[in-house]
Amino acid sequence: MRPFPTFSQAPMIAQLTRTERQNAILICLVIAACGFLLAAAGRDDPISIHGALIFVACALMIFRIGKDYYAPEPSDERFAHYYDDPSKAGIVLSMAWVVVGLAFGDWVAWQLVYPDLTFGGGWSSFGRIRPVHTTAVIFGFGGNALIATSLYVLQRTTRARLPDQLSPWFVLMGYNLFCLLAVTGYMLGITQSKEYAEPEWYADLWLVVVWVVYFLIYLRTLARRKEPHIYVANWYFMAFILVVAILHIVNNLAVPVSLGSAKSYSAFSGVQDAMTQWWYGHNAVAFFLTAGFLGMMYYFLPVVAGRPIFSYRLSIISFWGITFFYMWAGSHHLHYTALPQWVQTLGMTFSLMLLVPSWASAGNALLTLNGAWHKVRDDATLRFMMVAAVFYGLSTFEGSFMAIRSVNSLSHYTDWTVGHVHAGALGWVAMITFGSIYAVVPWLWKRTGMYSARMIEAHFWLALAGTVIYVFAMWNSGIIQGLMWRTYSDSGTLAYSFVDSLIAMRPYYIARAFGGLLFLIGGCIGAYNIWMTIREPREAEARAGDLPEPRLAAQPGE
Amino acid sequence: MNIEHDVLVGFSKSFGLFYLIALSVAVLIYACWPSNKQRFDRAAQSILDDRDRPWR
Amino acid sequence: MSIFGFHYQLERKAIGLVLGIVLVSSIGGLVEIAPLFTIHQTVEDAKDMRLYTPLELAGRNIYIREGCYACHSQMIRTLRDEVDRYGPYSLAVESKYDHPMLWGSKRTGPDLARIGEKYSDQWQVAHLINPRDVVPVSIMPAYDWLLSTDLRTDDLSAHLKAQRAVGVPYTDEMIANAALDAYGQANPDSPRAEGVTKRYGKATTVRPFDGLPGRLTEMDAMVAYLQVLGRLTDAARKPVAQAGAVQ
Repeated sequence: MRPFPTFSQAPMIAQLTRTERQNAILICLVIAACGFLLAAAGRDDPISIHGALIFVACALMIFRIGKDYYAPEPSDERFAHYYDDPSKAGIVLSMAWVVVGLAFGDWVAWQLVYPDLTFGGGWSSFGRIRPVHTTAVIFGFGGNALIATSLYVLQRTTRARLPDQLSPWFVLMGYNLFCLLAVTGYMLGITQSKEYAEPEWYADLWLVVVWVVYFLIYLRTLARRKEPHIYVANWYFMAFILVVAILHIVNNLAVPVSLGSAKSYSAFSGVQDAMTQWWYGHNAVAFFLTAGFLGMMYYFLPVVAGRPIFSYRLSIISFWGITFFYMWAGSHHLHYTALPQWVQTLGMTFSLMLLVPSWASAGNALLTLNGAWHKVRDDATLRFMMVAAVFYGLSTFEGSFMAIRSVNSLSHYTDWTVGHVHAGALGWVAMITFGSIYAVVPWLWKRTGMYSARMIEAHFWLALAGTVIYVFAMWNSGIIQGLMWRTYSDSGTLAYSFVDSLIAMRPYYIARAFGGLLFLIGGCIGAYNIWMTIREPREAEARAGDLPEPRLAAQPGE
Repeated sequence: MNIEHDVLVGFSKSFGLFYLIALSVAVLIYACWPSNKQRFDRAAQSILDDRDRPWR
Repeated sequence: MSIFGFHYQLERKAIGLVLGIVLVSSIGGLVEIAPLFTIHQTVEDAKDMRLYTPLELAGRNIYIREGCYACHSQMIRTLRDEVDRYGPYSLAVESKYDHPMLWGSKRTGPDLARIGEKYSDQWQVAHLINPRDVVPVSIMPAYDWLLSTDLRTDDLSAHLKAQRAVGVPYTDEMIANAALDAYGQANPDSPRAEGVTKRYGKATTVRPFDGLPGRLTEMDAMVAYLQVLGRLTDAARKPVAQAGAVQ
């Protein structure tokens, strides 16, 4: 296989068979028709803009396929290789989303310092672009990285090629259409208001279709595997796909106002809705942001370190622990609220027990590195993964701690929660993803290494510094906020007004926005480095296969 | 009517506990079963093996 | 591969894993959520509770659209300082018509569960146009365009119908008159105003919320919604009144 310099040269479509190209066009036509119907049905409603967007996206896709429609068909030689084109596209998309998502994140952070940092219109105000940030980083960056790496890992661990070449493209492109509908929707004012499940009913339905196909790819590939035993990384990916499907479907049950309206009303109300939402919200953290990325870790960390996972048994035990315990923990988001107390207590108890499988995973990762510390020192890629494991351990401890009712009475509603989330999101999710991407990019594009090792170093230190500044700022502001709200004066009245606490937050909000800026700069450097690795092929020695080559495994010594 | 809710809650609490214990035992047995050890070791090692293309 | 049975065995095993994950993971949610659907048997009920008027519902949808819930909670916890600061703690029944609930998770700004009628309409309008005119250190975004945007009312009947489909008891009459009631509630001098109190109860506030009678803007809807927060029922004020905690 020759190296593919850029996307625009599109060897990707030439890899599809003629039938697959025809089917791709057919699928695009069907979706375009749906988009057209939405646009027509909702003439006076923002949904028409989304209908038009779907239509245009499909039309562009059809043109793109049409351009290479008559390219010669791929030879049967392709069956001797894994099918990695969707993984490549997924990684590029993931890096594009992370730059966008971090930029929006830093923008909203600065808006809390300078509230008039908007463009005047509604689309750029805090309430609308905050979900753009969360969706772009969680679903855009995280989701694309998960799809890309899961397909890569799935093929290597089963030693089976993906069952066909069209369905992975459907999943990847369909998923990105969902993300695009989500973020543009918020700016247009289309939202369900359910945190991390904001997209409206039609986008939700579309995601269900995409997700079912994703799940079927997994099952069909597993059915063709060589080894009877399924490698544990796939267990985590499976849990991620399955449970996210369950959560997504249940939490998004809603009745649309009409088929021509973007608005829908949740099937649940009040206390049931709150419990369902946080059952979803907490388990989105568990199965999207934890299980999926643990799957990533259980493959890339051992391969890059060149050592098998410290304890395979422990990885299985913690898998079932995480799968079981997390589902109970959501109610710790509702301590001291109108939710019945027995549910709150259950949530707190399971949150504490959750520490066991979480630390088992973090410890397993760190013990795998034990004996390879010189590699961690020398290689920023592996260091990303190590720091990720440390932050995973830290934030799961913090999470269990904050789930204790008395701690939660102070921390809830404050910036401490925001700090906790970012310790997990920046420290764990983003770090393990960057590490895995830096590992897999040279393998996928058949390069000897990344374009610049020094840029990886720079990215690493910027990301680490940004995370630490961010998290410390939010710890401080959150705890001060919580204390100010509950402090009484000697005369038995509240000592501080809400505005007093707002003034006290300002320095921390500046520090937070600065930390976020560092993380964003790091992300941009990473994206540039990856882009240059793809674009400027150095004379790569022809590598026979497409095995992930542990780059440092060549060093003996250990 | 109150009884219905209480029954449901009571069932939730007791069933949850037994389910937790049963599941933990089952997982521990599976993970520590001696004959599974070889399979696990093989799996752990397998991702490092030099198998560079689909098996058929 | 040629042996079908071998292939089948492998496939079965993957499905076993799938079933295992589904079984193990779904229990926790079922156990915690299912009993909540019988909760009305044990918690307080509020017989006097009224529904959101079409104007208030439209305001609520603007509140959702602008993401207000990201910074303002609507859930006062059972903690002394919260009751002292915001008012009686929130009861489950108070959000029984909230599809979806807007309890929130973060207080970048203060809780709004009992903000209704705490400030005048003029204050709310001025604050929404530019928060810093009223609270100099505020970091809330300005929502000045609400005042210049006409409220969309042609689909309000459909909104009420969808609400009824998820369990809010709107009557046929309410659904049929939704758009006119929205207009009437913000125009006390119009002949439409009377129908609003007739359908939604005497306690319904009928006022020119945005100060511009004759014109129905998004500001009308937003302020109408803010002014009804915590006032759909008195249930929460009853038990706490003895504790001496007042707003």
